[in-house]
Amino acid sequence: MKKKKSFFARFYVVICLAFFYLPILVTMFFSFNSSKSLTRFTGFSLRWYNELLQNVEISKAVYVSLSIAVMATVISTVLGTITAIGLTRSRKIVKEILLNVNNMPILNPEIVTAIGLMLLFSSIGMRKGYVTMLLAHIAFCTPYVITSVYPKVRSLDPNLANAAMDLGATPFQALIKVIVPLIKEGIFAGALLAFTMSFDDFVISYFVSGNGVKNISIVVYNMTKRINPTINALSTIVIVVIIIVLVVVNLIPLLARKNTVNMNHRLHHVIGLAAAAVLIGVMIWLGAATNGKHVLKVYNAGEYMDLSLLEQFEEENDCQVVYETFESNEMMYTKLAAGETYDVLIPSDYMIERLIKEEYLQYIDWNLIPNKKNLMEDVQNKSYDPGNRYSCPYFWGTVGILYDKTVVDPEDLKDGWELLRNPKYKGNLYMYDSERDSFMIAMKALGYSMNSTNFDEIEEAYQWLIEQRDTMDPIYAGDDVIDNMISGNKAIAVVYSGDASYIISENENLDYLTPDQGTNLWYDAMVITRDCSETDLAHAFIDFMISEESALSNTEEVGYTPTVESAFEEMKEGDYAGVSSYIPDTENPNNEIFGYQEPKVKQHYAELWTKVKAQ
Amino acid sequence: MKNKLIELKDLTKNFDDQQVLRGINLDIYENEFLTLLGPSGCGKTTTLRIIAGFEEPSSGEVLFNGIEISKLPPYKREINTVFQKYALFPHLNVEDNIAFGLNLKKVDKSVIAQKVGRMLKMVGLEGFEKRDVTLLSGGQQQRVAIARALVNEPKVLLLDEPLGALDAKIRKNMQSELKKIQREVGITFIYVTHDQEEALSMSDTVVVMNNGEIQQIGSPTDIYNEPENRFVAGFIGESNIIEGHMLQDFLVEWDGFRFECVDKGFPENEEIEVVLRPEDLDIVSPDKAQITGKVISVTFKGVHYEILVETEYRTYMVHTTDYAEVGRKVGLSLGPEDIHVMWKMGAY
Repeated sequence: MKKKKSFFARFYVVICLAFFYLPILVTMFFSFNSSKSLTRFTGFSLRWYNELLQNVEISKAVYVSLSIAVMATVISTVLGTITAIGLTRSRKIVKEILLNVNNMPILNPEIVTAIGLMLLFSSIGMRKGYVTMLLAHIAFCTPYVITSVYPKVRSLDPNLANAAMDLGATPFQALIKVIVPLIKEGIFAGALLAFTMSFDDFVISYFVSGNGVKNISIVVYNMTKRINPTINALSTIVIVVIIIVLVVVNLIPLLARKNTVNMNHRLHHVIGLAAAAVLIGVMIWLGAATNGKHVLKVYNAGEYMDLSLLEQFEEENDCQVVYETFESNEMMYTKLAAGETYDVLIPSDYMIERLIKEEYLQYIDWNLIPNKKNLMEDVQNKSYDPGNRYSCPYFWGTVGILYDKTVVDPEDLKDGWELLRNPKYKGNLYMYDSERDSFMIAMKALGYSMNSTNFDEIEEAYQWLIEQRDTMDPIYAGDDVIDNMISGNKAIAVVYSGDASYIISENENLDYLTPDQGTNLWYDAMVITRDCSETDLAHAFIDFMISEESALSNTEEVGYTPTVESAFEEMKEGDYAGVSSYIPDTENPNNEIFGYQEPKVKQHYAELWTKVKAQ
Repeated sequence: MKNKLIELKDLTKNFDDQQVLRGINLDIYENEFLTLLGPSGCGKTTTLRIIAGFEEPSSGEVLFNGIEISKLPPYKREINTVFQKYALFPHLNVEDNIAFGLNLKKVDKSVIAQKVGRMLKMVGLEGFEKRDVTLLSGGQQQRVAIARALVNEPKVLLLDEPLGALDAKIRKNMQSELKKIQREVGITFIYVTHDQEEALSMSDTVVVMNNGEIQQIGSPTDIYNEPENRFVAGFIGESNIIEGHMLQDFLVEWDGFRFECVDKGFPENEEIEVVLRPEDLDIVSPDKAQITGKVISVTFKGVHYEILVETEYRTYMVHTTDYAEVGRKVGLSLGPEDIHVMWKMGAY
């Protein structure tokens, strides 16, 4: 009987440990993968560590995360400790009110704190960036320090501080020589808590930061579109650092017991020096960042540019580029509407149409852009911006069906979009989790315009999608579709042509189809905001991006189809030879470009799409 | 006459809307062992904390050698304190606790070691230098606390109920030891206690306090023998307190009896109170005394019996080595020196 019990106890412990540590081990394991897949191990390599070291954005983010965490920890620990000590000496009513107030930020959903801080910084006109992020981190770390220090202080004899002062200590000496040593476990626990809270914070940092200042969480979040094992490598390093810190923290008391005085002194020196080094580093970095250079703020979709181009541009023009990324056009619009200022944006066609309508943009002076001659005919003068008065095309492509040649019968391809409703492939396909693209598919399958505002046609499309959902059991996937298709997890997926090119280059069994019924022909283009303060630099940037060399390295890195003739020709013959998705289908008269939607129509689509997804 | 060291002038102290000191006037002399005695809440500890500098008086002055110091922070005063629960620093060993004040003053290490050694010897803790203070007994902690204060060579040592946490036997030892230490170092001790026996046995001067006011200042014998009012009489030892009239100088009357006494200076027929100490009353045969009654209880107290005698008017408590059985008719005799006449409470 007893034996049985202990078996279950052990089993339980093993299950718990496995649950906690398996994800971490898997993450670490795939950081050594030689290929890009996160789920299929192809061999050992240090490739991703190498890329990590060379990735300027990540190393900057590591620096931001670490320096913010260290400074927020130091400052919030000092603030919290002083507050906790003060609280024990306050009157009971004050104490109780303050302790409850202190618990509020801890219990509050983080998003509320985040939005509150963002609004606060906006309303007092503070420039978002490093300082706002630091202030926010101090603000949310301090309550944790108070919570862990306060009980320690309360357990002390209230006469201890008096005793120290009685013996000649000033209040500050009494604090340092008597109170702090007695509550140091509490302070230490609080500091550790503050550090971890700060180091891995995403929600609050995301809302209060800006002007290109990103911590690790924000960078990783932006990377998820083209997730690759660099993240695993970064995670592995972070885990190793944390393990080292934990080991050191646990060893210090053991070592300190052996030679008390020396160790303590040495430790104080080390901690002091480390803090000073970080502070100096931050100041130098901040100083370097604003060295009186011209600053150009660029806002682009995530994983949508070869970042080495930015450095090259900075060097050539002796300026600084602040580069930020967004998840979707709508998110970009929200930030713009909230009063955030940028110089150059790279949104999609329908969004450009909207921005023009709402007067967010200024004319492009094509005289300043000699590289215009490099642009292909096919990408110019489109419906969203006739005559290209506001926009310079950046990448373009289509939406289509990615399919596994070894699974899908070529005969079935003739059905076009109806392939997505072929019961043979039930449970074996991904839809793209996007309201516009899904309705586009249904509209095109039914032979309507994808920009239709006819509610009857929309209703039909809705029924098409409902039927498809019920018969095919599709998965509405986001960017995880890329890794899943590379790994060959399912036979069919709706993807963007650029992603398709990239996926096909990693998995040769796949091919790409744009149905004859027509599809979304889309263009992303560079625009200059009305509020742009660096118009010369903005024009220079656009000109730089459509130079033959830049366009080539950009498409090589990102995989989307360039708007520059020479780059397109070279890739078509080279890396992407035979990859159908790389060459957008411009011949099909059924292809359309998304147009601006009236709010009423947009609302209607959104409601229906919610119903499709609600099962 | 010795020199005045500390003068308290019209000290008052309010906490929120509660008045805890109502005008304290007190002179404290050099080399004096002065005790502030009173029940809890009487203001004795507050007075001590004002002298130490932990509290500021709401009004009034504190003079130290003639200089006003009530706004001076504690670390600038030549005064040290032994706290109620010792307030030793738990993260420091015995030696470092004692050396705390000297270290702050950046005294030379060898001088510190020498002084700490001398202090440990004085309080009888030689060889305890490296001990952990949290592992010491109450009595030992007490000694460390005294050494920690005295090593700074203050002009005044304040002791806030320092023996309160010790058991009875150690307490007795510490009392005589404290007295010895005070004579040895020759400085002023200001001692706070609610234990009247402690106050009487150790002090040069006892200050009896109640309700934020000083009731009486005097030597232990004065306080015991000539309590100025019912409160002092009741608080110091056990007493029979009887309401009566002062007929004229040296003649007092209660319950219809007239007695000669040694008190004078009261108005004629003034209503007064008489204190009769139980040990001053003698049990005699009924025909030899004015006051007669019946024994209603006898309790053996070790050295003496405590006998309650019920008369027509009241019950008297008598402490005597003679035995008298319950139910016996007895007389109570007393001489003029045994009668202590006091002003009635609130009459002045």
